[in-house]
Amino acid sequence: MAVLTRRQVLGTGLGALAGGMLAGCATPGTVSVNTAPTIAPAGGEKITLTYWAWLKDLQKVLDVWNAANPNVQVEAAWIPGGNSGGYQKLYSALAAGAGPDIGQIELRSLPEFMLVNGVVDLSRYGANDYASRYDPTLWQQVSYMDGVYGIPQDSGPMAMFYQPEVFQTVGATGAPATWPQWAELAAELRRLDVYIDCFPLADASVFAALAGQAGARWFRAEEDGWVINMTDDATLMVADFYDQAIDKDLVQIGYGAYTPAWFAAASQGSIASVVTASWGDALVEGVSGGAGKWRGAPMPVWEGSGFGSSYLGGSTAAVMSSSKHPREALEFAVWMTTSQEGIDAMISNSGIGWSPARDFIGTSRQGGSEFFSGQAYNREIFVPAAKDQNPDWSWWPTTQQSFNILSDGFRRKASGTTLVESIGEAERQIMTVFENKGLTIRKEQA
Amino acid sequence: MTATLEPVRPRKPVTKPSTGRNKATARAPWMLLAPFLALFILTFVLPIIVAIGSSFTKVTRSGLFGESGISSGFAGFSNYVQALEDGNFTASIGRMLLFGAVQVPVMIVLCTALALMLESASAKWPSFFRAAYFLPYGVPGVIATILWSFLYIPGLSPLFDAAALVGVTPDFLGPSTVLWSIANIVLWSYTGYNMLIIVAQLKAIPAELYEAARVDGASTWRVARSIQLPLIRPALLLTTIFSIIGTLQLFAEAQVLMTVSPAIDSQYTPNLSAYTTAFAYNDYNVAAAQAVLIAVVAFALSFTFLKLTNRKSP
Repeated sequence: MAVLTRRQVLGTGLGALAGGMLAGCATPGTVSVNTAPTIAPAGGEKITLTYWAWLKDLQKVLDVWNAANPNVQVEAAWIPGGNSGGYQKLYSALAAGAGPDIGQIELRSLPEFMLVNGVVDLSRYGANDYASRYDPTLWQQVSYMDGVYGIPQDSGPMAMFYQPEVFQTVGATGAPATWPQWAELAAELRRLDVYIDCFPLADASVFAALAGQAGARWFRAEEDGWVINMTDDATLMVADFYDQAIDKDLVQIGYGAYTPAWFAAASQGSIASVVTASWGDALVEGVSGGAGKWRGAPMPVWEGSGFGSSYLGGSTAAVMSSSKHPREALEFAVWMTTSQEGIDAMISNSGIGWSPARDFIGTSRQGGSEFFSGQAYNREIFVPAAKDQNPDWSWWPTTQQSFNILSDGFRRKASGTTLVESIGEAERQIMTVFENKGLTIRKEQA
Repeated sequence: MTATLEPVRPRKPVTKPSTGRNKATARAPWMLLAPFLALFILTFVLPIIVAIGSSFTKVTRSGLFGESGISSGFAGFSNYVQALEDGNFTASIGRMLLFGAVQVPVMIVLCTALALMLESASAKWPSFFRAAYFLPYGVPGVIATILWSFLYIPGLSPLFDAAALVGVTPDFLGPSTVLWSIANIVLWSYTGYNMLIIVAQLKAIPAELYEAARVDGASTWRVARSIQLPLIRPALLLTTIFSIIGTLQLFAEAQVLMTVSPAIDSQYTPNLSAYTTAFAYNDYNVAAAQAVLIAVVAFALSFTFLKLTNRKSP
């Protein structure tokens, strides 16, 4: 007969434990929450939602909601911004099944979270009823395949901030209206050892924004798979324009905007302007001694093609697949991003980017700002800019990797590879990335 | 995936009949080891097994976002092929080999020289300098990199003003220089630590050897060459191996400097590459393959170094 010794019992126990743990270690993110039945509302009992975001003082915004909704309390937890650690934390929490109810996810990163089944399709909880409250371009960027995967939280319509005094040193009375005029002005400024702007070789998202302005549409989701087209005329025109600008030393490529080196140069007047998003105002205000020296102007445009502005950055409040209360999370997110009190609280406490609401930009953004010499740049510049953006742009499930691939190519500009060449090469590599993930992709047929 | 791995089998029962006292004696070490073993297996052995298993797994999706089904299965070596075909990953290993080939010898020579000087008879305030050289090791790598990054940034750093006096414009963060700027940070951080290991070994040299050398009329230089260097050999080997492994594991310095240097990409070092692949690209399987490859390279390098140095010894 088999009498088990203590050691055998212990050994078998350990073995079973180890085996169980290994079996539980399926590659994370391979189970979809959006095919499971929807979760019913809590119905009166008190629940607490957690919201992971990198917005500062978010809890003060949530307190406004919490005071009015005793049964649905929301708690903020701070995570580092996006790919600097926040997503890593969200991904590993999702992989461990311990994510929050709501997570701050950039518009461009939403499809990547969809790929790991990290976000809830909110259309199943009635999100489309709220679509009319949002900027249609932004709603388009959270809608994929008849689903809604996040609630737009803020965005970044683009324009230009410039130093009129520096422009005047070469006789320019205002900001350049078109990109060719911008290049001419840049050449003038170079004679005085001033750069008009930076071109960030290491951050392709800026290039994507510029290409989007010119009318590019890199990805399209079709029934039978993804369609990629990064070598369209608009993209190559922008790439060629910046190839020439870099070759003629018109733009600073040693550092990007809002880096310590940029702040030093901007305060010394050796960086004259920056084409940036609406949230850039707070950063420009950080230029020491810059008060009264900066103004806003519309983004330069391409004559005869493209759009008046573009978008850089912007994020969503996405309901995570780990949430037990998606409906309540949706209702809270809609309140936060479309109600007057929610938007004002988000601006004054968290300093969010552009409000995604269709009709309200925020009380404090109506008037002028002291730093920008009283110019009401939000109403004058950014309201029209937000209405003149490329409506067809769609993000894709490997955005971060694609941007890294693009930047890797751009960095080789120093050793003689043109931006135009590296975009063609990047497109091939990105297609390989899709295929390695098991996704279907084909090149747009001209 | 990992289900194909067999669970740990229970130990075979002892076949020989034995007395209870013997059994207890045999059991005692295991019981005493149990707390360590449990944690060791849980936090070290199991993760390694899971990582190796994961590196042989592939996830395939159908639909635009995998919404029509996701399956995972055995992948053979395809993740390894993918990792090795990734030019940026292999470049990062090559970059670290270059980095190590320069930085490790410089650091070992420097820390040995510092240790010998501090332990020489004519050293002034040796304990003060020992602490001073060791101090940078107490600064966490991230903080050290932030401190140094401010010395590397044009427009902020006094180094640029000093260089301007002699008519030079240095570029610490450019594509060809930033690697050596990182090497400088690592050197600053770890030389003192390695020096301390060598000092400890120097202190273990018996005083009689020095006395005998003095009687024989040996110079300080001769004492260093014939007594101290041969006797601190084990410490030198140890610090070199640690430095080789540390080089391949470089992460924080590159990650932090990335924000100020456009030349550093997201796969600049092997560990950064695995981190990016896992947590920015969500490709845990390829990241696991990269991690295994890094471990293999570190193991191969350390092993080769030990083989080479053992052969040289008399």
